[in-house]
Amino acid sequence: MTRQRVLAAIAAFAMAIAVAAPVAAAAAAPKKFKATRAIVVDKQTGALRMPTTEEVDAVVATISALGQRPDEGLVQTTQPSGAVGLDLAGGFGGVLLARPSEDGTWETLCVFTLEEGAAFLGLVEEVQ
Amino acid sequence: MRASFISRRSSSIAGVALFAAAGLVAAAAPAVADPAQFVIVNINAAGVGFNDPTPAAPVGGNTGTTLGEQRLIAFSHAAAIWSARLDSAVPIRIRAQFTPLATNVLGSAGPIQVFRDFTGAPLTGTWYHVALANKLAGVDLSPGSDDINANFSSTFNFYLGLDGNHGALNDLVAVLLHEFAHGLGFSQFASLTSGNYLSGFPDVYNTNLLDTTVGLHWSQMTSAQRLASATNWGRVVWDGSGVTATVPDVLTLGSPNVEVNSPASIAGVYQFGTASFGPSIGNPNVFASVVAAVDIVEGGVAGATTTDGCSPFANASAVAGQIALIERGGCGFAVKARNASAAGAAAVIIYNQLANAAAAPPGMAGDGINDAFVTAPTVSVNRAAGLAMAGASGVTADIGVDLSIRAGADALNRARVYAPFPVVGGSSISHYDTVASRNLLMEPAINPDLTHNVKAPFDMTWELLHDIGWTFPDADGDTFPDDEDCNANSDVRPTIIIDGIDTGVPNRGLGSGCTMADTIVSIKAASGNHGSFVSAIAHLTNQWKDAGLIAGSQKGAIQSAAAKWH
Repeated sequence: MTRQRVLAAIAAFAMAIAVAAPVAAAAAAPKKFKATRAIVVDKQTGALRMPTTEEVDAVVATISALGQRPDEGLVQTTQPSGAVGLDLAGGFGGVLLARPSEDGTWETLCVFTLEEGAAFLGLVEEVQ
Repeated sequence: MRASFISRRSSSIAGVALFAAAGLVAAAAPAVADPAQFVIVNINAAGVGFNDPTPAAPVGGNTGTTLGEQRLIAFSHAAAIWSARLDSAVPIRIRAQFTPLATNVLGSAGPIQVFRDFTGAPLTGTWYHVALANKLAGVDLSPGSDDINANFSSTFNFYLGLDGNHGALNDLVAVLLHEFAHGLGFSQFASLTSGNYLSGFPDVYNTNLLDTTVGLHWSQMTSAQRLASATNWGRVVWDGSGVTATVPDVLTLGSPNVEVNSPASIAGVYQFGTASFGPSIGNPNVFASVVAAVDIVEGGVAGATTTDGCSPFANASAVAGQIALIERGGCGFAVKARNASAAGAAAVIIYNQLANAAAAPPGMAGDGINDAFVTAPTVSVNRAAGLAMAGASGVTADIGVDLSIRAGADALNRARVYAPFPVVGGSSISHYDTVASRNLLMEPAINPDLTHNVKAPFDMTWELLHDIGWTFPDADGDTFPDDEDCNANSDVRPTIIIDGIDTGVPNRGLGSGCTMADTIVSIKAASGNHGSFVSAIAHLTNQWKDAGLIAGSQKGAIQSAAAKWH
């Protein structure tokens, strides 16, 4: 395998990881949360209900993946001009959450971390 | 809207849509700035997301006939709004997809990279979002890489219309305008758990963040100072000149305020939460002593205290006419406020109990039973503030609306940045304060009354981006933004030239983006015949002479040239 092909393979792998980020984060998420308020509109009845354990796990994994702010491990590259670039590794983005109200409207909040998102959605960390 | 759909790659997997204004560049105009070209890089696979073939009826000006097409049109519409407001010689690439995100997650967006110390960087040793860095450098610093990552929910029922008539649904265009702004530069990168800079360097957003308590910008602070500043509610402001200049045009006078006046040891402005019941703050303004309420311990109620205000007050006479201070817990907020009202309190402060010692002042919902009996404006504060008031003697406070200050700004018209206690991750500091009125696009919540206008007098998002280095499209280089220019392609030649005849008369700007030469051309176009044109020019040049814009000889030169233009 040529150097270019190796790099291409690494790049393709990295892209696959990036696309699957929520799933990967779900597997690695160390924190377990439980719901304290109804935040799901039931598709059958249209009424508000508590999220299932699976739904809580999924939302925690998604916020963790999309809102990550790694302090370490970010890669800097210096160009010949002296410009320095830093890849943010898919993190540092705003994550927009919504929670339904009884009157049928939605409240939204733009968060950047799991902790803030969990607080907004009424998810509390379970003591292991 | 000048932005237009230019091309879309045929591949259903990686379609690319380009949005930008046509290049209309005046030949010799200086400092020409074209609208930024936004490239929506569709990375959805066939049949999903932007390529979802589910039939859809046109809605709110969105003419797409499939769900995927409507999503792309909404994305493109939001990109076009920013395109019309920002200039860059380097296309801004948004890597976009709709995927089935978890329940309650609408989407996410942010910059893919940051750059520092590039050629053209206004500040050295300072991170810039990649799209802004490219704009300032004038070249693509990361060729082949996208600039903003955007991933939105394919299962959430967004309003896909372009007209803002979203009803109870969430307006996708407003959401996109907000999230794109984060990707363009409306966010900071310093850690809010350590205060440390991103990889050791401040970002350009940090340079305009001023903590008015210590008088330092975030780019001048130690990590410990930044950490403290992140929760310095009401005291972190944006002091960029662009935002500050437009605050009076955007924010309304009347800032809701909870301020302790004495004793000096605890005096200051306090973060507060509001209640959905009772009179609103400022109705009326209350200046009074703060008196801790004392009630009986409810029998059979676990955790009941004499400070929870869940029963009629034993010290009602002391509370009457004053501000009742009550601890949270034991019963609903409205019950406490009702008991305080029954005691004759002029206002109510409810502070967090031990169980919520680290929590922010809560928003207080009513219960539909006691709400109607609440006659005193009611606010909440955090536990530390409540204990400080309870532990001091001779406490007086203001609860009301300061009509000399704009809601969402400080006394010097500097926009307040969201800095609640406790800190709320990246949302702190990277948004405008929630006390702003009118509601702003870049508050943490996407409020339902937002327009799609990102600039004063409707909003201040563009002004903040301008403060960090973005500039506006200006095709003729006359310093008037194209969308506010009475002629975006003005004749900016130094002298008035009429049909090839150089009059030698200086071609002045007339204060609206139009020049004298523009005006003459406009009159020519509007004139029915040569005689009326010549007559109108005579009238115009007389006005210019009377206004001191031209001399008598110059008036003659213009009229002579105009007479020869058939």
